[in-house]
Amino acid sequence: MSLLEVDGVSVRFGGVRALTNVTFHVNRGEIFGLVGPNGAGKTTLFNAVTGVVRPTSGRISFDDHEIGHLKPHRRARLGIGRTFQNLQLFGAMTVLENLMLPVDAFARRGLLSDAFRLPMASFEEKRASERARAMLHFLKLDGIEGLRANDLPVGMQRRVELARALCLRPKLLLLDEPASGLDARETAELAEALPQIRERFGTTMLLVDHDMALVMRVCDHITVLDFGEVICSGPPSVVQADERVIRAYLGEEVA
Amino acid sequence: MNDTTATLRRGTVVVALVLAVVVPLLLSDYYQFEASEIAVLAILALSLVLITGFVGQISFCQYSFAAIGAFTVGSLSGGHHWSYWLALVVAVAFSAVVGILVGIPALRLSGLFLAILTVAVALFFDRFLLAPGTWDSFSGGLEPWRIGRPSFFGIKLDGPYAFYLFTLGAFAVVAWLVWNLRIGKTGRVLRAIRGSEIAASMIGIDVTLWKLAAFGLSAGLAGLAGGLLAADIGAVSPPSFDFLHSVTIAAIVTVMGVESIGSAAVGALALIGGPELLTHTPISPDYFQLIVGVVLIVQLVFAPQGVVAKTAEDVKKLIAKRGGDHTSLSPNATTQQMTKVHT
Amino acid sequence: MTLASANFGLLPSYTVIGLVLGGTFALAAIGLVLIYRVSGVLHFGHGAVAMFSTFIAYTVSVEWGLPSILGLFAAILFGAGLGYAIERFTIRPLRDRPALTKVVVTIGWLLVLQTLAGAIWHNTAYHRPVQLVSRSGFLVPLVPGHLIIGYDQLTTMIVAVALALGTAALLRYTTLGISMRAVADDPESARLWGVNVDRVTAASWMVGSAMAAIAGVLITPLISFTTFALTLIVIDAFTAALIGRLSSLPLTVVGAVFLGLAQTYPRAFVSNAGSGEVATFALVIVTLLVLFRPGSSRVRVA
Repeated sequence: MSLLEVDGVSVRFGGVRALTNVTFHVNRGEIFGLVGPNGAGKTTLFNAVTGVVRPTSGRISFDDHEIGHLKPHRRARLGIGRTFQNLQLFGAMTVLENLMLPVDAFARRGLLSDAFRLPMASFEEKRASERARAMLHFLKLDGIEGLRANDLPVGMQRRVELARALCLRPKLLLLDEPASGLDARETAELAEALPQIRERFGTTMLLVDHDMALVMRVCDHITVLDFGEVICSGPPSVVQADERVIRAYLGEEVA
Repeated sequence: MNDTTATLRRGTVVVALVLAVVVPLLLSDYYQFEASEIAVLAILALSLVLITGFVGQISFCQYSFAAIGAFTVGSLSGGHHWSYWLALVVAVAFSAVVGILVGIPALRLSGLFLAILTVAVALFFDRFLLAPGTWDSFSGGLEPWRIGRPSFFGIKLDGPYAFYLFTLGAFAVVAWLVWNLRIGKTGRVLRAIRGSEIAASMIGIDVTLWKLAAFGLSAGLAGLAGGLLAADIGAVSPPSFDFLHSVTIAAIVTVMGVESIGSAAVGALALIGGPELLTHTPISPDYFQLIVGVVLIVQLVFAPQGVVAKTAEDVKKLIAKRGGDHTSLSPNATTQQMTKVHT
Repeated sequence: MTLASANFGLLPSYTVIGLVLGGTFALAAIGLVLIYRVSGVLHFGHGAVAMFSTFIAYTVSVEWGLPSILGLFAAILFGAGLGYAIERFTIRPLRDRPALTKVVVTIGWLLVLQTLAGAIWHNTAYHRPVQLVSRSGFLVPLVPGHLIIGYDQLTTMIVAVALALGTAALLRYTTLGISMRAVADDPESARLWGVNVDRVTAASWMVGSAMAAIAGVLITPLISFTTFALTLIVIDAFTAALIGRLSSLPLTVVGAVFLGLAQTYPRAFVSNAGSGEVATFALVIVTLLVLFRPGSSRVRVA
């Protein structure tokens, strides 16, 4: 059974059909790419999977659970993590605080133990901060824990957001344009990091990006969207050569 | 680095506490009575800091929640002769519940419209709920409830200084609890929600639950203040809890700095001390709210994060210049952050 | 709450009162929406401006004994001037700040004006209403019951309608009005097209506050004439404006009339004076929730 099954999902906003009958399956351990020209519906698809947007029809199931009716935070708790195209870091907070939050969300202690500084609270604080630091170390971000997220350069912010999503220990990680704003070197580092993440944490990944080189290099399987519909699906070599795909991009560089 | 600021903070708190205990001892009964009013209103101000400073939601009806607390105590303890403490517990619970109820529509509203909602709530209380003829068994109708001073584990709290120590203790405990919340996970989660609700939900935070909990907590604190006020003054009547009071305390806490626990204390001090001070000047105390309004407008232009927070910042900068400390500690408080509009 | 024996015979006169009340709400609401749309500020002190101007009218006509029409003019002038001052000196300098900061400034003004008025004219004292037109009325034929419409009530309704239409005409046919709409839509583009945004914004505040002043003067015979009551007319204006989705003037007027009736009718059945408040409160909640779903892009928050 695939980890994520999107079946016949359509999304309409008023008169606009953002997605039409989109179907694809993501298997465990895959790095799955989702590409398409601007406006193809990729972000809408992400929003549908994470629960921000309700599909008008179709089914989404994750880890053998139907999740179509679940609110976003419940899906996050089931193991779906996400990074954002337009960076949604908690800018005013430090890097460490940003990374401690995913653990916070799962922590058992509530307001009371927080307020009274019960031993459970300080224990969990320690645990959260340790996990955060370990993640920073893994992504080669040591030393920046005390800095405010807003003060970091874009490349580092992207890595921090990635780290934050990983602190959730997600089974599935949705990456929305993770290379956006990165230079060639940073993109290459990202391309190396993704399989390492898979190896270390067993995370399945669903990646959306415009950088075709990155996508072709990193992904095991790619689905191409155009005008909200799937026009091609397969391993990179197949997709690269597909006529419809080339036409859809019309002049954009494909690999 | 961090230690210098932490030590300074601890030092300030200790000094303030010592002063708070010792100074009123030397004052007359009247001032001791005012001092306990200050302590109780500091709790009310704290409820405002919680909802506006931590969660970022403007509220112009805190006195209405306080009224619930006060009138519950009034009707149960004053009217039906329940034990004061039992009545107080019920009062806090009742206010918290009402707070959650108000919070439910508030969830879907952005800052601006939430403010309107709280104004509507306040006026609804003033003109209908607490008006004579609507729910007299709660509001007392035309007769204010009379509440006697309770005893605390056998210690009679009739004397003004005894009661003052009690209210000071209550404020200290509440402030400590709120402080713990702020530096712990709760504070982080609330700041995250203010930063980006969508990102917060993506990492598993149930935004709805947290916001409602915050509303309930804030209203509960306000209710506690109301219940204590009832015992302090000994009588409760609706005009003391009206919309204008809610606006005034919101204005003062904003001037002081909506995110800082210290501002709650200083704000309450200003709220009672201000008019008191004016009685010794040729200006009538009635002009106090006018001064607050003017100060508010001026402050928004020059020190948007509030006077207390700005002072704290300036002090920190001073230390940093000497010690080379570059990390920013406190969740940086600006009215800009408080007023982040979710469209 | 005691239920007065349902007095259906009084319904027609309650309807008239409700309509007149609604008319004054409409004027205040139109002013509020104008200010909001053009400058992006939700003016919590709108009622306080109305209140202060009305008390100026009171001083001129009741205390000094001059003709009430002069009082009305004084109120209009004062209201416009006050509106200008607030915008020019306390809102415009905060141009780059978030919307809510400017709103908090208007709260500050609410406090200032309310307290000042209370000090000058005493908060709770009874004030004789400003009577522009005589109270005496005429019997309306054909309506069941003994319905008498006062000339003052009729005048208020006519004035409300006239001003509402006048505002619509202003916005549609005059350069100023068109500039206002341009700024309301998109201030940056308007600026690029040569519109003096500052001047237009100031004008909107002046017009809006002047309408508030008129509303205040007209409402004095209808409600308890105290500083509080008038300052708080802002919440009725808000409610009507919300029903109009903070953008549509016709809907705002409809909402205002509806609110006026909703506040008045309960009095026919229930003797508790505050019973009309339930209507206001319910309407506020319903409109906020139904018409203002998150992400509603119709409402501009500058």
